[in-house]
Amino acid sequence: MSDPIRNLSEPLLTLQGVTKRFGALPALSDASLDIVPGEVHCILGENGAGKSTLCNLIFGVHVPDEGVMRFHGKSYQPAGPSDALTNGIAMVHQHFSLVHNMTVVDNVILGQQSGFVNTKAWARRLERLANDYGFALDPYAKIEDLSVGERQRVEIVKCLIRQPRLFLLDEPTAVLLPDEIAALLEVCRRVAESGCAVVLVTHKLAEIKKAADRVTVLRGGRVVARSDHPAEEIDALVRAMIQGDVKSLDKSAASALSVVEADGSHAGRAAPAETPAQEAVQIDGLTVIDGQGVTRLDNFTLSIGPGEIVGVAGVEGNGQSELAAVLSGMAAPSRGRVFLGDIETTHLSPKEITAAGIGVVPEDRHTVGCVVEMSVAENIFLNRLEAFTSFGFLRRKELVQAARELMTRFDVRAAGPEVAFSALSGGNQQKAVLAREITLPKLLFLLAAQPTRGLDVGAVAAVYGHIRSACQRGAAVLLISSELDELIAVADRIVVLYRGRIMGNCAANSSERERIGAMMAGQAPGQAA
Amino acid sequence: MTGAAASMTGNLRAVLRPSVVISVAAVLAAALLGVALIFAMGVPVLDAVAAFVDGTVGTPYAIAASINRSIAFALVGIGFVIANRANLVNVGGEGQIAMGGIAATAVALYGHVDGLPAGLPFVIPLIAAAIAGMLWGSIAGVLKIKAGTNEVISTLLLSFIAVWLLYWCVQSPALLRKPMTNSATLPESLEIPDPTKLPLLTDDYSFPVHVGLPITIVIAIVAAIVLSKTVFGLQLRAVGFNPIAASRAGISYSRMVMISLATAGALGGLAGGFMLLGEQYVLKDGFSSGYGFDGLVAGLLARGSVVGVIAAALLFGFLRSGGINMEMVAGVPTALVMVIQGLIVVTLAGAAFFIGGRRT
Repeated sequence: MSDPIRNLSEPLLTLQGVTKRFGALPALSDASLDIVPGEVHCILGENGAGKSTLCNLIFGVHVPDEGVMRFHGKSYQPAGPSDALTNGIAMVHQHFSLVHNMTVVDNVILGQQSGFVNTKAWARRLERLANDYGFALDPYAKIEDLSVGERQRVEIVKCLIRQPRLFLLDEPTAVLLPDEIAALLEVCRRVAESGCAVVLVTHKLAEIKKAADRVTVLRGGRVVARSDHPAEEIDALVRAMIQGDVKSLDKSAASALSVVEADGSHAGRAAPAETPAQEAVQIDGLTVIDGQGVTRLDNFTLSIGPGEIVGVAGVEGNGQSELAAVLSGMAAPSRGRVFLGDIETTHLSPKEITAAGIGVVPEDRHTVGCVVEMSVAENIFLNRLEAFTSFGFLRRKELVQAARELMTRFDVRAAGPEVAFSALSGGNQQKAVLAREITLPKLLFLLAAQPTRGLDVGAVAAVYGHIRSACQRGAAVLLISSELDELIAVADRIVVLYRGRIMGNCAANSSERERIGAMMAGQAPGQAA
Repeated sequence: MTGAAASMTGNLRAVLRPSVVISVAAVLAAALLGVALIFAMGVPVLDAVAAFVDGTVGTPYAIAASINRSIAFALVGIGFVIANRANLVNVGGEGQIAMGGIAATAVALYGHVDGLPAGLPFVIPLIAAAIAGMLWGSIAGVLKIKAGTNEVISTLLLSFIAVWLLYWCVQSPALLRKPMTNSATLPESLEIPDPTKLPLLTDDYSFPVHVGLPITIVIAIVAAIVLSKTVFGLQLRAVGFNPIAASRAGISYSRMVMISLATAGALGGLAGGFMLLGEQYVLKDGFSSGYGFDGLVAGLLARGSVVGVIAAALLFGFLRSGGINMEMVAGVPTALVMVIQGLIVVTLAGAAFFIGGRRT
């Protein structure tokens, strides 16, 4: 991987003492960095470390407050993304910008050319390019028919067809299947070998091991470590990233980050009873058919014992959202029933579901989990404000005091209970949502959907801790996640959802990883690979 | 020392909050522009200004008329603010006023209330007016919940329906039109009986502020408290900011939509009741006189604050009175006051945008 020539070459892009503030808060301070042609340069850091800010500065979305950027030895002050593109800098964003009902080639042509276009010529170019980098892409396929991984390839092709000299990828693997991640990293390597510099933003160490030539670690907006031999120095890099030793991490958080191999042993938690006396949660033939007549969830049947954590694996969009919506009372199923102990909860309202003892950590925190414009205290007790009410009046002091206590208990870091929820970092927001849902007066069932998405390592460990403590107190837990490592580390057993159906059921064990991966991709468990 | 100084600057800053400064500046700028327009029309500016002042604060009668007008604006504006907390835009004040006026007239004339004791002769028509407005607002609520109809569209269209219903009521002798004695009988209702007319605060007919003023003040205080101190107010805000998260937290979206639109409607209806029982006494075509829209603008400008609604309502109330007098005395078209009012709205809205844009 290490290439001696690289060290001789002139840096393509240099950042010197670059600082970017948003308000008073520096998102990036005094960052210096150089990127040379032909390398895969990984930017490693937790959420909020300044990785995206760095990308956005290079891509011209933001203007640095201090410091200089040089590109090819010349001063580089992009006025906007179009400047960056003209300079040969291309970027794949976390969120795709594709027109869904248009074909791949049309999407590629968009924004590259005006006037008359020769679609056929573009399609040929596109196929040739895909071939060069070792992946397949049908130029005439419609975006809406493509998987997330394929859509990302379209975004990549959109960049590569400009023959960039610097190629930025902002957390590109977050949405991909294990196989697709490997393929993406391979593409990155090939792009680098062609002489282009690749900047890969990630917080996953496995990717660094596989693909990085050099690594720059950001923490709190500062460059805290660099490595020219990342594969050998991975422990030091992790320490730099979180300022703590890998061993001090929650074991499952570490394995979800692929620092250590997940072993499914669930240290620190008593094994659930072999045969629970009674099922806490019984989901029976749940089926959701949407307005277009498409079956989103197909005969989902599952029972969860008290103190058991069942994981739901699957690529997003395979029925997880519908399952969570039905269980949390936000949507009615087309068929099927849900029981909590002896109580049927199928058609209860969210209020009644909360009263029955079901806590919900929703997948989309900002849309379903909180009201960001309101205060932390108001959000923490949003589902039981009545507890702080006399004659309709809110006992605000009491509410704030209670919130302060929960914030301490759940380590929600904020300037106080009365600051706006939007002022909190993602991790602290999620901890606040957990605080609300886990401290329900009688929690019998916790539904957690993608509970660690976008969180940094410390927050991930805390979330796992709280989920486990809920289950130790006898709650049944359904953990929906697209991170397989997370499920293997936290759950007792895993069911795999594919196109709304349960493809299979297996123990949460790292030896099952490949089998689960195959099921996530739609292979029935019996089927040969 | 420094602490005291800091708190003083703090107080000063609170008084001179950009929004207050900007609002006053916007009003002044609009007034100056208005004066410039008067000048451009060739009307002696001093005469026009004198007529304007005379019409607003020149006589006790003028002041009272302005206040009565402001009451209607304030009620509609408060309703707007309440609905707006739930992120709903009630533009149906005009129709709600019309419905309130119809109901108040019907009950006052034909409800056999004029013989009742102790205020009931006017309280009952007022309640009827509020209920009529509430029903009118609720229709928009039901449409919103059941069919997802945008309340801007539904309340606006319901206003047209209400205004034409009122027209029908005063045109048809089978409804509220006064008995046709000859072909010159005007299309309007009979005058309501004296006991149903709102009592004046002072018995002085040269200062005819009616009991609507204290009632409106009480409503404003209650509204401000409910919005800021109660769980209901908090839940309304939660629904307004994020209906999905609110409903996940067990707050019923439908309930909040219904209550807020019904309340806004009730206040609009009450405004109509006050207008009829307190000033006009006779229901006729054009009864609502655009007050519903002025009230809506007062609510808009207040940006969620009940106190702001009162201020804007008073401003518009006095502006209207002054404008009418300017037209009568100095020959300046009253439309000019509308222009000034529009200028205030544009400058204030623009300034708000400017401040908001700079903050980020």
